[in-house]
Amino acid sequence: MATKSIEADTGPYAKWQRVVADRYTDRSFVARNRSGVEVDPVYSGLDRDGGEAEMPGQYPYTRGIYPIHYQYQPWMDLQIIGFGLPSQTRERMDLLLQEGGSKGYFGREAYNFIFDMPTSMGYDPDYPGVRGSIGDCGISVCKARDYEVLLDGKDLEKTTVSMVLNAGSPGMLGLYLAAAKRRGFAFDKLGGNVTNYIWDFFGHSGGTNFSPKGSYRLIADIAAYCAKHVPLWNTLTISEHNICEAGATNVQAVAYSIAAIIAVNEECVKLGIALDDVVPRFGFHVRYGENFFEEIAKTRALRRVYAKVNRERFGCKKSSALQARIHAQTAGSLLTVQQPLNNLVRNAYGALSAILSGVNGMTINAYDEALGLPTEEAVTLSLRTSQIIAEETGAVHVSDPMGGSYYVEALTDDIERKVFEIIADIDDRGGLVACIESGWIKQQVSAAAYNWRQEVESGARTMVGVNKYVTDEPEQFKVFQPDPEAARLAIEDLERHRRERDDVRCTAALAALRHAAERVRDGHDIGSVMASLVEAADADATLGEMQAVLHDVFGRNK
Amino acid sequence: MPDTSPQPRILLTKSFIDSHDRAIATIALALRDAAMEVVLIDYEQPEDVVNVALQEDVDVIGVSFMSGGQVETTQKIFAELQRREVAGLPVVVGGTIRPFDVPPLEAAGVKAIFRGGAPMADVVESFRSLSRAYRGLA
Repeated sequence: MATKSIEADTGPYAKWQRVVADRYTDRSFVARNRSGVEVDPVYSGLDRDGGEAEMPGQYPYTRGIYPIHYQYQPWMDLQIIGFGLPSQTRERMDLLLQEGGSKGYFGREAYNFIFDMPTSMGYDPDYPGVRGSIGDCGISVCKARDYEVLLDGKDLEKTTVSMVLNAGSPGMLGLYLAAAKRRGFAFDKLGGNVTNYIWDFFGHSGGTNFSPKGSYRLIADIAAYCAKHVPLWNTLTISEHNICEAGATNVQAVAYSIAAIIAVNEECVKLGIALDDVVPRFGFHVRYGENFFEEIAKTRALRRVYAKVNRERFGCKKSSALQARIHAQTAGSLLTVQQPLNNLVRNAYGALSAILSGVNGMTINAYDEALGLPTEEAVTLSLRTSQIIAEETGAVHVSDPMGGSYYVEALTDDIERKVFEIIADIDDRGGLVACIESGWIKQQVSAAAYNWRQEVESGARTMVGVNKYVTDEPEQFKVFQPDPEAARLAIEDLERHRRERDDVRCTAALAALRHAAERVRDGHDIGSVMASLVEAADADATLGEMQAVLHDVFGRNK
Repeated sequence: MPDTSPQPRILLTKSFIDSHDRAIATIALALRDAAMEVVLIDYEQPEDVVNVALQEDVDVIGVSFMSGGQVETTQKIFAELQRREVAGLPVVVGGTIRPFDVPPLEAAGVKAIFRGGAPMADVVESFRSLSRAYRGLA
């Protein structure tokens, strides 16, 4: 394996060997290919400067955050799931589990919940103007009790729950923790994440949010609370995916993602939070789309830049504060209405590029998502795609298999350099929050989106079935229709909940939440908003009621 | 002879609880490049859409949807147009429009539906001709 110029004892390869022997004792990760050739778990050589190449699991983690990756622990399949009422989503969860999905790490079950738009934004089902969206593109959840249905019988210590949502994120975490508390689970055993997309004003944008400054304050509050009380909880997902989906280039999306991390870190430092306590629980959501090799290179560059920024700019010391954990998702915006089966192929290539770049979790979209919510058949095919890559292709035998490729290494370095240039530009403009407030960053993203669209219009960029190889025949595909009764049932359930709860206790808990929010807004008692959200949710306050308080205190974006 | 008729005025809008606004932002830029005047808002309630449409004196409304509410919102916009006595103001809908959304959207009176992948030239032309027809220039 080693080339002759590799230093015998002190170089990256020797260090890697020692770590692997230490960590995995005598376990062998050597695979055998079709021809009987033994395949090592990772290959080494010289880097572009002629020095011995960095190995996986070594700073700055270009080649991955683990010395041994899929050979030891496959990626987590986290298909997005959620529609209608909690009881209806539960049926789909049971289907996925039965099909071999929902696999978390080390035998845990894992679910990636998406909520309907009212829930995602923190509104209750009876909020004016939201009725038509209830349960339509996600689950309707507004009270702690809803988790008792959704996760009925599940051992929450062995279930990883991922919650994808926007402005409703802080309250939603409150509901989940309150439900766990009622069922007697200790918070320090709970694993999962809330995407906490309140940082994002330029990717997954549109819709309501807190004011930019209020959002970044709340992110710090949640991070500080969880570091102390729910230490296994991942409190923030920076979605490079959403920024790309909004139209940004890969370089822009990585740079803006890192800029978001910088803004969050700066907010934490300002409030006296030790970064090594909170940063290990930040993570990324990255998009895998149309540029196969660029996707791989950007992932490697993202890990490298993240490590350097956290160590060199912020002085983080813990290795977990330097390692970018990445949840991959194939590109939704590339899914076409035209010839939708083509999307199966697009998704498979996107997923393969994610795996070759060493991601930690995976969402493969369903081929019919441009038509509507995925059907059961389409969801199953997504899972099969992941299973085929994992168990048939052999792509998992070698970590960072693209490492050392002239092309990929050059692209990686190039992306890193351009990302640092954009970060310097954002610094010059007063930082990310200033760029959000001025509208500059949104303009950058929209301009890139428009440019992309013009390439499609002109034919300079091919989209098979859309601007080339077009067919005329109308295609009939089954489209999933959520239960139109969900809205009525959700509203009735909410009314019953309000009638039956202890109003005095609930009102007092909401008043305590307001007090904590005002303190945190003013820079005191960081972590107390999240603590008060758990208390309020346990006192049967609804998501919308808690959100109204937070909006009052932390302001709205519009 | 050069066309001296006024430029089309378009209101583009998306719900306050919807997200992913790439499409509407892209269409706003395309219409602007086609020399139209574009007002882009996030509405809180469907009634707000009609309010802004009247205040800004637009001649077409375009509503984009990603994540639900397609039918209910559109129906409410039409009801408000009727109530404000501008029932003829054309409404165009785009985004994730599912087959089961189409009949009620058409019944409500939607003039055009654009899904992902629709050629931008068609979208621009549709807004232009609806605008001209509304102003009696067609």
